[in-house]
Formats: sequence, C-alpha cells, structure tokens
Amino acid sequence: MWIAGVGMTRFGRRDENLQDLMAEAALAAMNDAGIERPDAVVVAAMNPEEFTGEGNYGSLIATRLGLSYAPALRVETATSSGVAAIYAAYAAIAAGFHRSILVVGGEKMTHLPTPRVSEIIGRSIDPHEKSYGATMPALAGLITRAVMHRRGLTLREISQVAVKNHAHGARNPFAHFQEPVTLDTVMESRLVADPLRLYHCCPISDGGAALVLTTDRRGVRVAGIGQGADTIAVRYRTDLTAFRATQAAAEAAYRMAGFGAARVEIAEIHDAFAPFELISLEDTGLVPPGKAGRATLDGETAIGGRLPVNTSGGLKARGHPLAATGIAQVVELYWQLTGRADGRQVEARVALAQSIGGLATNNWVTLLESRR
Amino acid sequence: MADRLRASRCPRCRRLVVPPASICPDHPVRMEEASLPPLGEVVSFTTLHSPPEGFRAPLHLALVELEGGARLFCHGAATEGVKIGSRVSVEAVDSVFYFSHMGFTDRARLFWRRAGARGERVAAIGKSVVKGMWNRRPRGED
Repeated sequence: MWIAGVGMTRFGRRDENLQDLMAEAALAAMNDAGIERPDAVVVAAMNPEEFTGEGNYGSLIATRLGLSYAPALRVETATSSGVAAIYAAYAAIAAGFHRSILVVGGEKMTHLPTPRVSEIIGRSIDPHEKSYGATMPALAGLITRAVMHRRGLTLREISQVAVKNHAHGARNPFAHFQEPVTLDTVMESRLVADPLRLYHCCPISDGGAALVLTTDRRGVRVAGIGQGADTIAVRYRTDLTAFRATQAAAEAAYRMAGFGAARVEIAEIHDAFAPFELISLEDTGLVPPGKAGRATLDGETAIGGRLPVNTSGGLKARGHPLAATGIAQVVELYWQLTGRADGRQVEARVALAQSIGGLATNNWVTLLESRR
Repeated sequence: MADRLRASRCPRCRRLVVPPASICPDHPVRMEEASLPPLGEVVSFTTLHSPPEGFRAPLHLALVELEGGARLFCHGAATEGVKIGSRVSVEAVDSVFYFSHMGFTDRARLFWRRAGARGERVAAIGKSVVKGMWNRRPRGED
C-alpha cells in the first residue's frame, strides 16, 4: 500500500466552512498524487452535525469535490477519526474493492464559543464521568498528576514538550501557532485542570488534511497500521500512567510491519496535552520507560536530536482540528520522508504516527517507510 | 460512618464497578449486585478552573479506589491536604459521590468501630499512623 500524494490546509482560525476546508486539502492531495478520479472516498469528521449542522458527510464531500460517482463513507473514532479513515481505506484496497482511495478529514470549530466547543468534544467522555463535570482537560489533569506522582515526571519536563513543539511550529507554514514560547511562559500560564496549565493544552483549530492511497508503487509505503482500545470510563482502568490503547496499537503496527521501534527515526505524537507526548513515547517503545522526560529536556526529540518528534509543531502548535489531525500527522511524515519539509527537514527513512481517540479509548499507530 | 456503596460484581472475573453496571466492561455477562464499604484511597485528583456549564469554579474532582479495587469519581469541598494515596471516606448524596479527607482521629475512630479482636483494632490504628506518615513524607513533585 502506497501513499500517492498528500495535502492540507493551514490550521488555525479559518473563515471558510468545513466543506471548503476539506475540499482545499483533498484537491491538493489529488493534485499531488496525479490522480483526478479516485475509486472511492473515505471522510473523517468527528462531529460535523453539532459543529456545523451538516450531515451525510461522505456524500456531501464527494459531491463538493466533483466525485459524486465515487462510493463514499464516513468513519469516526472521536479525536483519532483521521487515522480510522486511513485504516478503512487501507482495508478496502487490501480487500480488493478499490485501487485508489481519497482520504480526507477535517473539523470546523472556531466559529462557536469555547464552552460550546468543549461541550461537544466532551460528548466522547463516559456519560457518568461527564455528569461529574469531567472534561477532557479534567481527565488529562488526573492523568498528569498520577504520572508525576508514580513515574516522577516533573512539571519542567512536561512544559518543555510545549516549548519544543512551539519552536517546531514556528518552522511550519501550515501551523496554527508559528511563534516560539519560553519555558517560563508555559510554566506560569494559568491553571486549567491542576496541575495542567493553559500552555500544556492544544488549541481549538479549524482545518482539513487529505491523502490518496494506492496499490501503485510510489515513494512512501504504509508499512503498518494498528488500532488499540481501552474502556471509555477512566474509572474502569487500573493504570492511569500509560495508555493500553497505544501499547496495543503499537504492537499491532510493529507486527504488521515486521520491524520494531528501533528502526523509527522520526515521529508525530498526539500531544493534545503535553504530558501525553511523554506517555506516548514510552507506550510506543520509542523511548525506554521512565526516560521520555529526560530525553525531552536533553533535546533528543527536537529537530536535530536523535529522534525528532512533532516536527510539524504537534497538536500543540500545528493545531488540532480533531478529525484532520491523524491525517495531518501522516502528511507531515510524508513530507519529511520525501524531502519536502522545507525549513524543518530531517534525515529519515522510517516514521511513526500515533493518534489518540477520546481519552485514549481508541488509539492508532501508523508506520511509514520511504524507498529512498 | 456513611452507608455502604452500591456496586456490581462480574461473576466471571469478580471485578467490581461503581456505580453498578448491568454488564461487565471486560466480559459480556450480567453483573451481580454488591456493596462496598465507603472508604478508599485517592488515585488522583484535580481542580477545574473553568468547569463546564452547570458547575461552579473551582470544581474539585477525585478518582478514588475503594477496597476491592472499584474506582469512582467524586466531588469534594477542597483538595487542600489531599495527596495521592490519602485515605478518604465517600458518601453518596442523591446518587452523587462526595469524598472527604480523614484526619488521624477520624481514622482511629473508624478502625475502632470495626469488628475484630481488640489487638487487631490497635494494629489497624498503628498501620494507619505509619501509612499517614508515609504519605506525608516529602516527595519532589507533589
């Protein structure tokens, strides 16, 4: 399975509607791929019904793109929906149904007031826990405190993730935030869900991202894709300091690829909250247990380090238009593997993307390998 | 002392959950009714400074593990003095759980009320004191 081409919009506050954002990304990807008429379309959108009032998004986007002939479907796994769409396309091609599929994801949120956006995103939380006022930041705050206590992670290490990712975002013209921030700014920003602070949390962003998958041999191969699951209720979990869903996804992806974490040279990690990058680096085996904080402080995960992580700026700086995010991670890695990441290029042949759905209920790991 | 809490137990894996659920999260089988003493340990806690609609800031939330392993979400009046591992009591008011932090005297009184030989009760109080000191020792990032 090969990636024929990719495209994305700049993330951030966008005036365009969701259809326009998805169309911009999709046309860029089809143009990049040199494929004008893909056999099918898979669309990812977490909750367009509530964010935009529009539904039937598979058909809506196919028609909007001039692909009304193409069978289209929409898939959803909360905030990791973008990768679920790549998976569905991969499966359909692998099963022999189609030879090329357009995958496009996006979300439009900034036109709504922040409390309303939080409420809609919060629908992916267990209803009983939500009835206690639990929001995504609240659950992330519980996890952050537990990780600091049980695994000795420090606030400085967690804050450095945000500093690094902002520095990377400053080199990415597609990023929501393109300005660096200092460690003091992060550590002194206002408390959101103790001990999590504002600058530990990703922003609310609009945007779209797309790619075309094909059976034709191209420059970058999807070497592995794995899905992992955990309970939607956080109270049903026995360990708050690691995400079982990521560990299972990584295991499945490595098994499929036939190689392990040691071969990965660059990664995009789901840093919706800064500590999640550290947890996820260990869950995927990219960094040994207990070492992610130190590795971050030492610059190992920065551009120029041993294993550059989130060269795009991650969710923190590139932004997080929910269903676009998982696809945008793969777009960034494709650009890196094909030498097109102007201003932030690193040398790599094997790349890993990790995406978290909900509060780590439905996670994905994707492995890419270039032919170069 | 507050009432026992309603829970459910999986007949397959013996797992306990609160509030009771009809089906076990790990097995597609009906759970059995159970009840648990309203005492537990704080697994983690947070204070939300911009809580969702219907809640007032600051909103204190804790995840508490009861004896037997069931965990539940609770509201609390404050989190000052609370640490991961703190012993708390849990009370259900109109089906909403609240935790309160127990000081040494509360814990001693609680253990004294437990059934068992006099020696066991004294031992329980002793263990509680040691545990309290353990929880209070300085720990870098707390």
